[in-house]
Amino acid sequence: MIENLLTYIIFTPLLGALVVLLLPQSKTSSFKWVALVALGVTLVLSVLAVTSFDATVEGLTNSEEQLQLVDKAEWFSVELGSLGKFSVDYFVGVDGLNLSLLLLAAIVLFIGAISSFGIKQKQKGYFGLYLLLSTSVLGCFVALDFFLFYLFFEFMLLPMYFLIGIWGGPKREYAAIKFFLYTLVGSILILIVMIGLYNSVYDPVKTGLEAGVIENVSEASPDMISSIQYAVQAGQMESENIVKSFNMISMADDANYLPDSFLGKNSYGEIFGQSARWIAFLALLIGFAIKLPAFPFHTWLPDAHVEAPTAVSVVLAGILLKIGGYGIIRTAFSFFPDSAFHYSWLIGFFGLFSILYGAMNALAQKDLKRLIAYSSVSHMGFVLLGLAAMTVEGVTGAIYQMFSHGLISSMLFLLVGVLYDRTHDRGIENYGGLASKMPKFTILITIAFFASLGLPGFSGFIAELMVFIGAFKSSTVIGAIPYWMPVVATLGLVLGAGYYLWTLQRMFFGKFWVKDKAWRETLVDLNAREYVMLVPLVILIIWFGIYPATLLDLINNSVEGFTQLLILSVE
Amino acid sequence: MMLLQSNMALGLKEQIQGISADIAWLAPEITLVITAVLLLIYDLIFKENKSVGLAAIAFVGLAFSLVLLIASWGNVEGDRILMGGMIRLDGAAIYLKALFSIGGMIGLVMMLRSKQKEKFFKSSETLLLFFSLVLGTFLMAMAINFLMVYVAIELVSICSYVLTGLFKSKRNSEAAMKYLLFGAVASAVMIYGMSWLYGFTGTLDFTSNAFVEGVSQVAILPLSLALIMTIGGFVFKLGAFPFHIWSPDVYEASPTPIVAIFSSLPKLAALAILFRFVANLDITIIDWQLWLGIIAIASMTVGNFSAIWQKDVKRMLAYSSIAHAGFLLVGVLAFSESGSTSALFYGSIYLLMNFGAFFLVQLFENNEGKTSFDVFKGMGSKVPYLGVLILIVMISLTGLPPMAGFNAKLYIFSSLWESWQTEGSSILIWVLIFGLLNTVVSLFFYLKIPYYMFFKTRKEAENPVTESLTDKILGTILVAPLLLLFFKSDWLLNVLNSINFAL
Repeated sequence: MIENLLTYIIFTPLLGALVVLLLPQSKTSSFKWVALVALGVTLVLSVLAVTSFDATVEGLTNSEEQLQLVDKAEWFSVELGSLGKFSVDYFVGVDGLNLSLLLLAAIVLFIGAISSFGIKQKQKGYFGLYLLLSTSVLGCFVALDFFLFYLFFEFMLLPMYFLIGIWGGPKREYAAIKFFLYTLVGSILILIVMIGLYNSVYDPVKTGLEAGVIENVSEASPDMISSIQYAVQAGQMESENIVKSFNMISMADDANYLPDSFLGKNSYGEIFGQSARWIAFLALLIGFAIKLPAFPFHTWLPDAHVEAPTAVSVVLAGILLKIGGYGIIRTAFSFFPDSAFHYSWLIGFFGLFSILYGAMNALAQKDLKRLIAYSSVSHMGFVLLGLAAMTVEGVTGAIYQMFSHGLISSMLFLLVGVLYDRTHDRGIENYGGLASKMPKFTILITIAFFASLGLPGFSGFIAELMVFIGAFKSSTVIGAIPYWMPVVATLGLVLGAGYYLWTLQRMFFGKFWVKDKAWRETLVDLNAREYVMLVPLVILIIWFGIYPATLLDLINNSVEGFTQLLILSVE
Repeated sequence: MMLLQSNMALGLKEQIQGISADIAWLAPEITLVITAVLLLIYDLIFKENKSVGLAAIAFVGLAFSLVLLIASWGNVEGDRILMGGMIRLDGAAIYLKALFSIGGMIGLVMMLRSKQKEKFFKSSETLLLFFSLVLGTFLMAMAINFLMVYVAIELVSICSYVLTGLFKSKRNSEAAMKYLLFGAVASAVMIYGMSWLYGFTGTLDFTSNAFVEGVSQVAILPLSLALIMTIGGFVFKLGAFPFHIWSPDVYEASPTPIVAIFSSLPKLAALAILFRFVANLDITIIDWQLWLGIIAIASMTVGNFSAIWQKDVKRMLAYSSIAHAGFLLVGVLAFSESGSTSALFYGSIYLLMNFGAFFLVQLFENNEGKTSFDVFKGMGSKVPYLGVLILIVMISLTGLPPMAGFNAKLYIFSSLWESWQTEGSSILIWVLIFGLLNTVVSLFFYLKIPYYMFFKTRKEAENPVTESLTDKILGTILVAPLLLLFFKSDWLLNVLNSINFAL
C-alpha cells in the first residue's frame, strides 16, 4: 500500500494542471495527453485505493476508527482568547460511503478526458480547467474536514463555469451563470450551517491536548476521549482549552457538541421558533438538493446540460450530481439524524415527486440531451427516496444508484455527443431509422437506454430494486416513510420505459430519414476513440448488474454503521 | 478650548508638559507632516522633471512612518491616552495606521503607473493633499474626542473634495461639487448631533465615564436624534446606506488611484471611530445594534443590487464598496473581541482586494481612456495573466474560496453567530442570512469582468492592453496575499488576536 494514497489521488490532476499551464501555447496537441496521463494515474491510484480497502472494518459513521487511508495534518489554527481556539485540518479518508464514489469519479473523469479529445479550440485553457475540476471533484469526495470539503465544493463551480461558458453551445453564457448562481445559493446555505457547526463542535482529542490531559495523539484511547467528552459536557473544561473543529466525523457525534451550543442535540436552540437543528438540517438538505438536483431546485440542470460540451456534461451528470447525494449522506443525515427522521416524509415526498416530475418532463422533450437531463432528475429522485427510507437497503440502494447512474448517464451523454459531433443537431424528431445507418451506435444506445430504465442484468436494476426493498421495509422497520411512496414511485419506472422506448422507436427504428440531406454523409458509425470510451462503460454497467457483490461487499459495513446512527438517534 | 474634565484641573504648564511628553508617540504622524513639507520645498527648488523626486520623497515618507509604526508595535501596552485626552493609541490604532501607510504606498504606485502620471506629479499639490488625507485617516483611527473626530474627518473630507476635482474637467468638477455639498451637510449635521451630546453629558470625550453616565440620563427621543445625527456623519464617511449616494458619482469621475484610496482608507478609519463610539453606548438604553443591523442589511442589499445594473466598472466598484461597508459593519454589530478582530481582518483583506481591483482596472483604463465593460471584451486571450489576476480579485471580492475574501466573510459571520448565540438578538441572525445571501447577488456583477474578458470576443482593439512585466509583478504582489491568506489566514489572525482593541 502507498502512503498518502488519497493525497496523491487528489493532487495528481492539479500537478497535471500545472504542467499544462507551464507548457507553451504552441504545443497544442500535448495538453490532452497531459490530462489523459494525469487522470490515468489517478484512476490507477483509485483502483489501488479500492483494492487496499478493508471491507471488514465495522463502526458507526461518527467514529474515526472505521476510516481508512486517512491523511490528517493540522492546516491552521487560530487562538480566540478566552473562547479557546479553532483548528482546521487537512483531513481525508474513505469509508464505504465515499469509496465507491471516489472510484466512480476517477473512472468518469478519465473517460471524460478521452471524450475531450474532440475539443479543438483553446485547448490549453480547456484541459487546465478540466484538471482543476478533477482535483476539486476528487477532493470533495474524500475530504472529511468541513472547511476542506467546502473549499473543494465551492472551487468546483469556477472551472465548471468557464468550461460551460467558453466551450458550450449557443446559449452557454446564460447556462453558465445560471448554474453558478443556483449552486451558489446552495453553497451559501451550507456555509451558514458550517459557521453554526464549527462554533458548536469541539475536537475532543485536540481539546485534551490543549488542556494537557494527554501528551500526544496516540494516547487518545476511546476511554480517554469519552472522559474528555464527559468533562466538557459537565462544564469542567476551561473554556480557553476548548478547540473548536471543522472535523466532519466529530460533528456526527452528539457528545462533541458544546453543552451551551446552539446546534447541540440537548441544547434546544431555536431559530424563528423552530428547533435550530431542524432548520440547520433543512438548510443542508436544500443546499445539496440543489446540486442533486431534486424538484423544485432542478431547473438549472437541463440548461447546463444542453449547453455544456459533451465531456463536461458527462462529468456533470456522472459525478457532480452525486456530490449532492453524498453531501446529504455525509453531512445532513450524519450530523442531524434526528432531524432527518423528523423530515423523512418530506424528503421521501420530494424524492417521489422528482422521480415522477423528471420522468414526465423527459417524455415531453424534443431534444435528446434535455431528455437525458430530465431522466437524471428522475433517477436522482430514487437517491432521495432510498435515503428517506433510512433502512440499510434503502441507503445501499441510494449509494448504488449514484454509482450506477454515474456510469449510465456518462454513457448516455457520450452517445448523444457522438450524434452531435456528426450533425450538430440533437432534435429527436429530426432523425428516423438510424438503426439501418448506424447499427453499432444503435446497439450501444439501446443498451444504455435499457440500463437506464432499470432492466434486470444492468446496474440500474440492482440500485432501484434495493431502493424499493428499503422503501417498502421502512414503514415496518423504522417508520420513516409510508408504504404508498414506493408504490407510487413504481410509476416512475413505467414512465422511464415509456420515454426511452418511444425515443428508440422514433429515432432508430423504421425507415432511415434525416431532416438535413447533408447528414446522410456525415452520419457514420462509431470510430475507435468512441469505442474506447463506451465499451468499458458497457462492461462495467453489466458487471455491476450481474455481480453487485463487488460493490455491496465494500460498502455494506459502512452503510450499517450509518443506518445504526440513524436508528440510535430515533430511539 | 474645552479639554477633558480631568485635565481642566491641571494648570496650563502641566498641560503643555503633558503634550510635549506625548509627542514622541506621534512620530508617524509627524513623519507625514515633515514629508509633506519636504515635498513642498522640493517643489520650490527644482523646476524640471520633478516626478521622480516627488514620488521618491513621498514613498520614503510613507515607508518611514510604516517602520515607525511597526517599531512601536510592542511598546504600547494596553492603551495610551495622549494629547490631553484627544486621542488614544492602542494596538488597533497602530495596526490600522500601518494598514493606511501600506494603502498610501499602493496608491502612490498606482499614481506612478497611471497614464495621467504627469498630472499627479506636476507639482507637489496633489501629494500634499494626499498626505493630509492620510494624516487625517491616522488621526481618525485614534480619535476619542468629538473635537478630534470632527477635525480629523474634516481634514480627510476637505482633501477628498479637492482631490476629486483635481483634473478640473467638467465631470471632475461636477463630482467634486456634489461631494462637497453632501459632505458639508453631513458634517454640519454630525457636529450638530455632537453638540447635543455635549449638552447632555458635559464632556467631549465619548469614552469617559461622564459621557456614559450622562447618556443614561437623557430621555430616549432627544438622545436618539442626537445619536442618529452623529452616527450619520460616521456612516457618511463609511459610505454606507443611506449616506452612500455620493460615492458612485465621485468614484466614476475621480482619477482611479484617488478612488482606490477613497474607497479604502477613510472607510476603515470611519469604522474605527464608529467602533470606539458605539462601544460606550449601553445597549439597554439605546438599541444601536438594531440600527446598525438595519444599516448593514440595507447597505449590502442596496449596494449589491445597484451594482448589477452598472455599465461602468468604476461605478460598479463604487456600489460594491457600499456593500462591503455593510459587511464591515457586521464586525461592529457583533460587538465582541472576535467581532473586532474579524472586522480588522475583513478590513485588511478589503483594502488589498480593493487596491488590487482598481490597480488592474487602471491598466485597462490607461489604454482605452475609459472604464466601461467593453474595455475588457475579449481581453482574456490577449492578456491572460492579467485576466487571471482580475479573476482572483473578483472571486475574492465575492467571497468564495480559495481566496482570502472567503475567510474574511467566514470570520466576520462567525463572530456574528457567536454574538447571536449568546445574546439571541434576532437582528443578528437576519444580518447573517441577508449578508450571506447577498454573496449570490454579488457574484453576478463581480463575474462580469471575467465574463467580458473570457466569454466575449472582439475583432480588434485600437490600443490593445499589453502585459508589461512591471505591471505583472506589481499585480502579482497585490494579488498573491489574497491567495496566501486563504491558505494561512492564521498568520494575520494571530497578529490581530494579539491586539488589545480597547473598546
